[in-house]
Amino acid sequence: MFVEAILIALWAGIIGIDLYNGLTHIHRPLVTGLVVGLILGDVTTGLIVGGTLELIWMGMVPLAGAQPPNVVIGGVIGTAFGIIAGQDPNVAVGVAIPFAVAVQGLITLFFTIFAPVMHKADKFALDANYKGIERINYLGLVILFFFNAIIAFLPIYFGAQSAANLVESVPEWIINGLSIAGGIMPAIGFAMLLRIMMKVEYVMFFIVGFVLAAYLEMPILAIALIGLAIALYDFNQNKNKQGPAPREEEITDGI
Amino acid sequence: MESNGYKYEDTTEATELNSKQLRHLAWRSLLLQASFNYERMQAAGWLYSILPGLRHIHKDKKDLSKSMKDHMEFFNTHPFLVTFIMGIILAMEQKKEDREAIRGIKVATMGPLGGIGDAMFFLTLLPITASIGASLAVEGNVLGPFVFLIMFNVIHFGVRFGLMGYGYRTGVKAIAKLKEGTKHVSRAASIVGLTVVGGLIATYVSFNIDYAWVSGEAELNVQTDILDQIMPALLPLAYTLLVYWLLKKGRSPIALIGLTVVVGLLGSFLGVM
Repeated sequence: MFVEAILIALWAGIIGIDLYNGLTHIHRPLVTGLVVGLILGDVTTGLIVGGTLELIWMGMVPLAGAQPPNVVIGGVIGTAFGIIAGQDPNVAVGVAIPFAVAVQGLITLFFTIFAPVMHKADKFALDANYKGIERINYLGLVILFFFNAIIAFLPIYFGAQSAANLVESVPEWIINGLSIAGGIMPAIGFAMLLRIMMKVEYVMFFIVGFVLAAYLEMPILAIALIGLAIALYDFNQNKNKQGPAPREEEITDGI
Repeated sequence: MESNGYKYEDTTEATELNSKQLRHLAWRSLLLQASFNYERMQAAGWLYSILPGLRHIHKDKKDLSKSMKDHMEFFNTHPFLVTFIMGIILAMEQKKEDREAIRGIKVATMGPLGGIGDAMFFLTLLPITASIGASLAVEGNVLGPFVFLIMFNVIHFGVRFGLMGYGYRTGVKAIAKLKEGTKHVSRAASIVGLTVVGGLIATYVSFNIDYAWVSGEAELNVQTDILDQIMPALLPLAYTLLVYWLLKKGRSPIALIGLTVVVGLLGSFLGVM
């Protein structure tokens, strides 16, 4: 079982990278089913379980930062368990989902812990040190690889069922809380943008954008087009004046 | 932290990027999310993707440093459509456009393209191709995964590489027209950018209270009966402005990320979120 577990771990590491980088979608359970099936010597079962998991994950896509249960670990553990235990695909799903949810919680933590590295990146940018910027990105890839490889290896080597029990012993409120935090997290990025861009005379446009989304529930593209219409009007007004650049431009709020 | 526009050390326009260079950048864009994190999201990966282009454009080290620093700011868009923004931004960098205009265009385009990309690829292309592949696979047909991968990636890579050149040529042409009055362009870009950010907060920050007072027959749901009645997306806006205020007070983004994790855990533990 050791060699098989290592091979599956390698695959999990590679597709763990593909989930965020490359995005060729070899990380989908459909493909993982075939590969894990090949490794464990039962391609047909692998395909069937993989196909079943694929249909379950179909509606769970990463939209705008909201993270669905981790498709990489879900697919790998699900198919491996389905083949090794000879279980019905739906039972494999039952084992795969708790893992996938727990792993996504860990990924939320990873995305949080990786934030301080950005200050190192700021320093590299200031020094025009392009090699440093590249190294930081490669570091992210290496961590993603080992993170996924190790998480896939352990349960397959030690038995998926006992590992599933372990996962279920983590209090639900922790996993749930991490997922709530993940939903709020975009606020930080938007606040940082505001800190850079916001000036007193732009507050009205910010309000317009917010109201269009919050009350009228307009899609972002529509809001951008309205913003564009306002901007074009403003632009033409300023151009017709033919004066020097607007003076308010020099008033900066905060920065 | 400049309040006045940055003056380039070297104001001469750089030579155009050729199609081989643009292809190289499109390949690099595959690593857009390599250093993804909650503080800047794709920023370092974005800088990684355009970096050879910036080095070609900014021969002066101070200009390069300023440009790299700017591109470390928060960035998040759809990972396939990002090449379109890369093309436009590199065209602006090449023309040595005003730095605030570059920032404004970047922020104004990332949100809408993020939404369009999700709808096109994750909600349309992926379900269609994956369900075709899965329907073959559940019958034990080994072609299933291959059919899926080929269909998906022909479109994926077609879009990714096609938009790189298209964005760049569009950018070069559009800027030539707008050459006069870059201050006005910056202002226009900032207007679109901030309108979009206002919309993004209401759309993508998910902060809800899940708690109801029950007394006999009556039930009062805090989110739908109180908060939403005051203003929809009240908590996302309030929390973002709180973070904005704390940032201005000099709190580090890391501390604020930590605060957010605590809020989530506490809300979950108390069962109110």
